[in-house]
Amino acid sequence: MNASVASRTLRTLAAWVVVGLFFFPIYYWTSVAFKYGNDIFSRPPNLFHFTPTFDNFQKVFGISLGSGGVTVTPGGGNFFMAPRLWDSIVVATLSTLVAIVIATLAAYALSRMNFRGRHQFVNWVLSTRMMPPVAVAVPMFFIYKGFGLLDTFTGMVLIHALMNLPLAVLLMKSFFDDIPAEIDESAIVDGASRFTIFRRIVLPMAKGGIAATAVLCFIFSWTEFLFALTLTTTGLKTVPVVSSTFVTSIGTAWGNMAALGAASIIPAFIFILLVQKHLVRGLTMGSLKQ
Amino acid sequence: MKDSMRKAYLASVTDRFVKGQMDRRSFLRAAGKLGLGAGALGMGLGARPFWTMSQAQAQDQELKPNADVMKWLADVGKPFAGTTLKLATESTPPSNAIATQLKQYFEEASGIKIEIEVLPLEQVLQKLTLDVASSLGTYDLYYIDQSWAANFSQDVFDPREQLKNADLAMPNYNIDDFLKPLVDGIAMYKDTMVGVPYDIPIFIMQYRKDIWDELKLPAPTTMEDLLNASKAITDAKGPNVYGTSGQMKSGHYSLECDWTAWLWGHGGSIFDKDGKFCGNDERGLEAMAYWDKLKATMPPGVNGWTWDGEGQSVAQGVAASMLSWGEFFPFFDDPKASKVSGLMEAIVPPKPTTTLRTVQETAFGEIPGVGHQGGSSLAVSKYSKAPDAAWIFMQWATSADTQALITVLGGGTGPTRKSVYDDPRVKANARVGAGTTRHLPVVRETIANYMGSEPDLPAWAEISSDTIPVALGKYFAGQLGSAKETMDALKSQVDEIVAKG
Amino acid sequence: MTVAQVRRMSVSDSPIPWLLPLVALLLVFTVYPLIYNIWLSFHEYVPRRRALEYVGLSNWTQLWEDARFWQSLTITFVYFAVALAIELALGMAIALLLDSDGFGFGFLRGLLTMTLVIPPAIAGMMYLLMEDPQFGVISYFLQWTGLLDPAHPILATASTALAGVLLPEIWQWTPFMVLIFLAGLRALPPEPYEAAMIDGASQWQIFRRITLPMMSKVIAIAVLIRGIDLFRVFDYVFVMTSGGPGTSTYTLSLYAWQQTFSFVKWGYGATLSLVTLAIILVVASLFIKIAKVRW
Repeated sequence: MNASVASRTLRTLAAWVVVGLFFFPIYYWTSVAFKYGNDIFSRPPNLFHFTPTFDNFQKVFGISLGSGGVTVTPGGGNFFMAPRLWDSIVVATLSTLVAIVIATLAAYALSRMNFRGRHQFVNWVLSTRMMPPVAVAVPMFFIYKGFGLLDTFTGMVLIHALMNLPLAVLLMKSFFDDIPAEIDESAIVDGASRFTIFRRIVLPMAKGGIAATAVLCFIFSWTEFLFALTLTTTGLKTVPVVSSTFVTSIGTAWGNMAALGAASIIPAFIFILLVQKHLVRGLTMGSLKQ
Repeated sequence: MKDSMRKAYLASVTDRFVKGQMDRRSFLRAAGKLGLGAGALGMGLGARPFWTMSQAQAQDQELKPNADVMKWLADVGKPFAGTTLKLATESTPPSNAIATQLKQYFEEASGIKIEIEVLPLEQVLQKLTLDVASSLGTYDLYYIDQSWAANFSQDVFDPREQLKNADLAMPNYNIDDFLKPLVDGIAMYKDTMVGVPYDIPIFIMQYRKDIWDELKLPAPTTMEDLLNASKAITDAKGPNVYGTSGQMKSGHYSLECDWTAWLWGHGGSIFDKDGKFCGNDERGLEAMAYWDKLKATMPPGVNGWTWDGEGQSVAQGVAASMLSWGEFFPFFDDPKASKVSGLMEAIVPPKPTTTLRTVQETAFGEIPGVGHQGGSSLAVSKYSKAPDAAWIFMQWATSADTQALITVLGGGTGPTRKSVYDDPRVKANARVGAGTTRHLPVVRETIANYMGSEPDLPAWAEISSDTIPVALGKYFAGQLGSAKETMDALKSQVDEIVAKG
Repeated sequence: MTVAQVRRMSVSDSPIPWLLPLVALLLVFTVYPLIYNIWLSFHEYVPRRRALEYVGLSNWTQLWEDARFWQSLTITFVYFAVALAIELALGMAIALLLDSDGFGFGFLRGLLTMTLVIPPAIAGMMYLLMEDPQFGVISYFLQWTGLLDPAHPILATASTALAGVLLPEIWQWTPFMVLIFLAGLRALPPEPYEAAMIDGASQWQIFRRITLPMMSKVIAIAVLIRGIDLFRVFDYVFVMTSGGPGTSTYTLSLYAWQQTFSFVKWGYGATLSLVTLAIILVVASLFIKIAKVRW
């Protein structure tokens, strides 16, 4: 019994150490967000003993910590990024929605309907993810110019949805595959239409899988850089792109960049927490069966 | 007390405290009256410099644009009210000053809205290139780095032509006020004027007076003095403090900038009069030998830094000097971001070891000189849908009054107009502290007498930001053999690109 | 259209209406760019005339002689192989470690996913600061332990620069593997394990004989998804080293980006991208065949 207690303790300890190592850069980065320039560049690196400041957040989000508690000002200037955070949230949410709708429809058909070349079709869908983004950016720029989609939410939502489609289709298909096809068949015998079965029976059962897919789509949109850089100017901008605003001709505003970086973890993380209950179950169910 | 008054008073009190005209105790008492405890000031935590608001911000109150200029904007802008203009620019002090503090005045007076997209330099190039290639007119104004002048010369209006339209011309705009060397070095490509000079980062010698005095070293006025002093400091104080620093990141434009300063400083040039690369000649190799010796005195890691790391190494006291962009000087004086506030001294770049080559001995408008300039111009795009409104903005942004405000608010960046160097508002800021202008006389002198300027040719963007810095990066990483072999290899590459281009 | 007709259509087993939105979007936004790129690879942008001009096969022949291309291809392969191997092994190890219902393990799994929501462009900047030879916390630690010579900074030394870039890559994407493997592990049936326990098999034997084979499809999918992205790596090298020192971290994507955007050689940039696409296609198809991935 003692041996098993010891091994369990060891395992817990190891788990904390490993996750701690992975978490360390996030701690470090967050600490930079609360530092003055001199503390960011102290030698040796200063991890715990520094004078915390809210300056960086004040500049980036207009949030200040005065005598009257936390106050939020409208802000302004180049480094004011609150609206950009909002842009990112909108683009990531809507593009996830679009990708999920299209992908579930397609994945259902790919899971349930037998047609010639289905395997090849799935491979083709996957292959559209293999194109280097650099190669897509230039033609997209011209297409967008033609359709007036440059620098618009519609444009960004579309490209991010598109980028996520191959993965979303694959994942959703594997989730649908795990739901026994007999359920559909018996419903068809009862006279239900395909769409009714999809909406009323299969979709609710795949809720967890949808949540898992949505998380990945959201993350990929949230972190995408090249399309957002090429296809927007001043109308909207996502967080990864504006982060380079802090690289100026007289040095990088590390503290401000870290404030944006640290804050940008929060919305995505909230999204993950919201769907977490489904996420665990969803990824479990989509175990890509043998 | 009104909030703005309180702030202004606080700022003046702070200023006196920092300058040492006031002792800590009375300063705290004065600050206490303003409702700020020692804790809020961070005073209880040791010697942390207190700086609630920077000088630049403190002077906001008095710094307003000239009323005549505002009136002109209101009149001339009327037909264009409601227009929106777009500008893509590098994140430089002038652009930041305009975007954060000054554009509101312009928008209020003229009714023209201005949107500024701030990007790192290489992304500006990418955006402008796409805009030009698609003739899209996304941007009404172009921010053009001196090394791109040739690429965009046919895509922008020549400001001298624009000035002929009397209806839109700003009174007293005075295009001749721009420093002549800058017009030649930044804006002129063949006979076209590619916009007007907008900002001027330029290499000046910046060094730690305290360390130089302590070790009784002569000021680095020659190449030899710089090397000796740097070696002496590294020997005496390394690895805590090194003699000098550099921007030597492989594959980055900054490495090419450093190279040219040493090359020109040893009487060499990039191109000979036939337009062939000649960095591999005797003078070029002398420069490389010197650079090798100097690099040995720099902090390890210097070949991973762009201007960013270089500036930071000086600001944090790791390196005691740098021959680099003067824009950094006000940053060094900012006690909140730098540990060397008030300790730095600016002088003109070290004298070259031999006579400089003349413009006639080089090609493509290359101007040898140790004070490497990295200026940019501002120009109205030919694809703009509102070129007149853009021209109004451009005149305002580059007018003497606005430039003076930019220089003070934007943190002591170098103006491109003669008159701004003499502006009382600019001179008043020549004290130790964030956004100082105390280095500007040196900047002006460097522009007038020591400026070096890169050649202008369409292939230059590729040569300067890839071919040269990649080869030099390989050299310093020990992948290319000797300096001679490196330069010979570089010659064949550059000549091939030029021949194709 | 009558209600009955609609009804009949939706009851019918035709996959077309289901797949139509997907196919339409993919045609417009990925097939068109592909065709455009093929067309582009026979043209080159001429800055002087602000136009694309036909250049025949010259972009393709240039590719053969371009030492930079071959070098970046090699570097991309190394990056791909090293990152994939480490992420797989480490991801599996951590997934096995965290696959427990013990107290706090759910929290740890959640904490680990935080690395995923940081944009790679920002993560690259973050590691750039942490690996700075003078001010970086990672460099400081490595120098303190004696593993790193201060005279040879991580990112400025040819032999270590790639490792420096791989650091954020592995930090960010190992948790992605963990997430996928955890899902797989949690879905494994308990019976084989119970049988093995009775037989007195060792932990390692259980892993080799039971876990690994049952996880094979999950692993194959993970390799495929991550492998494709690894081959197109851009953000980290772009932000951290710009391909340096010299060309020791130049990847194909970075090279194509630079040709396209910095030097406005759209034709050559497109050629490079097409080659990248072709390589990924071939390797991925082979992998799908060999690993017997059935969709």
